[in-house]
Amino acid sequence: MISTMADHVVAIAQDMFTAMVDGESGALTDRAGEAAVLTEPVHAWVDIDGERPLRTLVATGRGTADRIARALLAMGPQDPVEQDDVRDALGEIANVIGGNVKGLLPERSALSLPVVTFDGREPAGALVWTRSLEWHHEPLVVSMWDVPLKREEQL
Amino acid sequence: MRALVIDDSRAMRRIVTRLLQDLGFVTDEAGDGAEALALLEAGTTYDLACIDWNMPVMDGLSFVYAVRERREWRGITLMMVTTESEHDQIVRALAAGAHEYLIKPFTPDALKGKLDMLGLVPARENA
Amino acid sequence: MSVSAETFGYVADLVRTQSAIQLAPGKEYLVESRLMPLAREKGLMGPSAVDAYVRDLRRNLDRSELTRVVEALTTNETSWFRDSSPFTALRQNVVPTLRAQHHGTLRIWSAACSTGQEPYSIAMSLLESGESRFSVLATDLSSAVLAQARRAEYSQLEMNRGLPAPMLVRYFVRSGAGWAVKDELRRLVTFAQHNLLQPPPTGGPFDVVFLRNVLIYFDAATKRDILARVRRAMRPGAFLVLGAAESMVGIDDAWERVATTSGSVYRVPGGIS
Repeated sequence: MISTMADHVVAIAQDMFTAMVDGESGALTDRAGEAAVLTEPVHAWVDIDGERPLRTLVATGRGTADRIARALLAMGPQDPVEQDDVRDALGEIANVIGGNVKGLLPERSALSLPVVTFDGREPAGALVWTRSLEWHHEPLVVSMWDVPLKREEQL
Repeated sequence: MRALVIDDSRAMRRIVTRLLQDLGFVTDEAGDGAEALALLEAGTTYDLACIDWNMPVMDGLSFVYAVRERREWRGITLMMVTTESEHDQIVRALAAGAHEYLIKPFTPDALKGKLDMLGLVPARENA
Repeated sequence: MSVSAETFGYVADLVRTQSAIQLAPGKEYLVESRLMPLAREKGLMGPSAVDAYVRDLRRNLDRSELTRVVEALTTNETSWFRDSSPFTALRQNVVPTLRAQHHGTLRIWSAACSTGQEPYSIAMSLLESGESRFSVLATDLSSAVLAQARRAEYSQLEMNRGLPAPMLVRYFVRSGAGWAVKDELRRLVTFAQHNLLQPPPTGGPFDVVFLRNVLIYFDAATKRDILARVRRAMRPGAFLVLGAAESMVGIDDAWERVATTSGSVYRVPGGIS
């Protein structure tokens, strides 16, 4: 189930980028195993509160995040990309990917609002799987985590 | 033609608004179903509403029910735009009175295709 | 079968450099089906036609041919109820006229069915108009693409294209990350491999033939041959549907034009009006 889920999530991410970021397919590719190094990482995630609470996380470098925001929000080439734009754009990407993951789970569950952080801290939890992708040759990591029990502080 | 874009995500509101404006719509935005209802109550006439499902205060399905209860709002075409895509959810939305359903992620062409199917093509001269 | 790794590699490189679109491994079937018509135009046939075509292409490096290859791989026109008006014409015009002629099973042939959206759309149109006594034969040259059509599963992105939501819920169920055609619809379509340059498939005589956006790959003489073969597999008064931008003008005058909104519907003479 794990590898199938990861494959599905990569496909959903590719559909998302094809449809709403790039306008054409092929820009988001699977690096197939090569680990990614992110410069000034930005983390965006949503939680699914089913029987097994899961977190879908999208992480990329700040520069890439800026470029994704610019494309997703159809900003002009000279428009400055503010942190709020990145928060909105990456949050929506996490939301759409997480929303589609939710649809793959057998039981009915709810999706949290997206959380986006710029401080490089990864959220708590146990890693279930991770996939390194590339968007126009820049690293982007999609991963799934078990959400820790609620007594831990959530961001 | 006038469209109302209802979504709690600022990014999604921006994306849909831009696509609709490119097609010739005049647009307004609302962050949840209650805000959207307030705009309708204030008397603005809309041809189209693009509605997210999961929103605070009043969600998209509740908004659809509320609109379809009022005869004076019968002319508004209601299209869900959401990641919620279980079979029974789409059935529920259509049963509540939504006319169409666009699953996220969607391409600009897909949005345009849905509007073409609904006969919602603003005349460019009037846009 | 499919294209060789070398062919695929060359074409993927070409497409990526010319269009930034990346053909990932697994898309060999796409290269085969999209380039097969171009190979045919050069007179190449058989399972290694595309390999031979690409070999020639690399030798000649004809710029306009290279452009055609890139275009063939970067357009994605498959959608449900493509162009919509032929399906409206089917419901409002074609089927009522046919029913005035006979009450048996209506036989429909989708002659370039690709990944299946066309034949399933035809079946949906008929079911929606209350017709249940019909069968759809769907053929394509590419067995890889037929396999996909038989699987009858489609991604979310594909489902968003041209399919009204009420029909989505009526005829499809969720399947993994996408959707699958319900059995009651699937049962109405039979898939088979067929080459238009050969005699028509069994299953005729047909009442309706959809031959959309495939004649464009052939020269005028071949078009006439294909149309003649197709016509022989059709009843008097049967209907032929071409692509929205296609016409018979200058090709074949043995058909009656049917006045519909799109202008691409023709009829075999001899039917009842």
